[in-house]
Amino acid sequence: MASIDTAIYVKPPSRASAYLDWLQMLTGAGLIAFMWSHMVLVASVNLGVNVMNTIAHFFEATYMAQVGGPLIGATMLFHFILAARKIPFTTGEQGSIWRHAKMLHHQDTWMWVVQAVTAMIILIMGSVHLWTVLTDLPITAAKSAARIQGGFWMLFYLILLPMVELHVGIGFYRIGVKWGFVKADGRKKFKRSENILTAIMIFIGLVTIIRFATLAI
Amino acid sequence: MSRQLKFNIFRYNPQDPASVPHADTFLLEETPSLTLFIALNKLREEQDPSLMFDFACRMAICGSCGMVINGRPGLACRTLTSDLPAEITLMPLPVFKLVGDLSVDTGTWFRATNSKIESWIHTDQEFDPGAAEERMENALAESIFELERCIECGCCVASCGTANMREDFVGAFALNRMARFIMDPRDKRKDADYFEVVGTDQGIFGCMGLLACEDVCPRSIPLQDQLGLLRRKMGFIALKSIFKRKG
Repeated sequence: MASIDTAIYVKPPSRASAYLDWLQMLTGAGLIAFMWSHMVLVASVNLGVNVMNTIAHFFEATYMAQVGGPLIGATMLFHFILAARKIPFTTGEQGSIWRHAKMLHHQDTWMWVVQAVTAMIILIMGSVHLWTVLTDLPITAAKSAARIQGGFWMLFYLILLPMVELHVGIGFYRIGVKWGFVKADGRKKFKRSENILTAIMIFIGLVTIIRFATLAI
Repeated sequence: MSRQLKFNIFRYNPQDPASVPHADTFLLEETPSLTLFIALNKLREEQDPSLMFDFACRMAICGSCGMVINGRPGLACRTLTSDLPAEITLMPLPVFKLVGDLSVDTGTWFRATNSKIESWIHTDQEFDPGAAEERMENALAESIFELERCIECGCCVASCGTANMREDFVGAFALNRMARFIMDPRDKRKDADYFEVVGTDQGIFGCMGLLACEDVCPRSIPLQDQLGLLRRKMGFIALKSIFKRKG
């Protein structure tokens, strides 16, 4: 049979959009679960240096950091590629959505703009963070504290922390309403809980950064 | 004491080469129960006969008077000025083709979208004009009617971030319409047929879940819940097909 790619001219029905949307949601949900666990684990330093060191040691002794770390990096990149299908990259589209958001005075639309902007920052800063941490294993409270006390990294994490928590919190809300897990009558309450959770996570993060900044090395 | 209302209204006539898009300001004394529909007619009668805007039924049924009211798409006929601040900005609905000033051509867009999603009951049953109408459970008829209440005013499309960015997105209107046909037992289309029409990035998977459609719909159609159901349904149709052998 002669091989002619007929799909160039007549597109056959495709399920690709559905699969990619599933993957976008599932990688997002996975990363949300990871980021919240990550926050709680790092915050263990507030309970004591040894608590954090023990937890970090556990993740290295079981090779979860060595294998899981790069996997998280790959998932983040994959999630970016999937979600980028919806993000405006042309100046024309960017202009449209910006004028639209300014006109509409609509909180959920602004939250989406925040999600898209934080995504770009996290892509760069998250990668830098992953590289820095994973090329300098094992993770210890002393090494983390030394990094924060270096000055530059303090600023770096003060930016990255709210970016991640906003993106993750809004993403959590968005999955809920977009996939119909949260119905219209529960939306307001769900959004409020999500905002409170995000605020709590940022607060825990700030406390942890301060703890690292003041930790005697 | 009645308020002095200040209207900032978008003006532009694409038919007139000398016309430049700008905003005109009008002042109007507020009267009891004044709607934007009445206010615009007053402005046209008393101040500027060239002001273009659409209306027909003045009771939120025809869907002609959709416009952007202080940033939010809504119907002029059912918006009371007493619910708005004294300064009111009116703009035409974006996405649709501008006819002039506040008037847009929603008809062409809806016609094209309706034919794209094949917005009618598909059946091979021959129509018998003599036969009694087929019966349907009351609860089902009511839930179909709930979605059927759409008046095609275009507010959901104008408020949609995706529709504003991407011309080929069918919008909440079409997805709600599809949900209505999926519910209807008289429509003989199968899951795969529905999927082909809305299981795409121009359909439900193009929706980013910003939910402005839900928040502006003047008919309060349950768009959020319908979009959620449709996304899950289309998602599961695709997943199921992985495990199904091709016949």
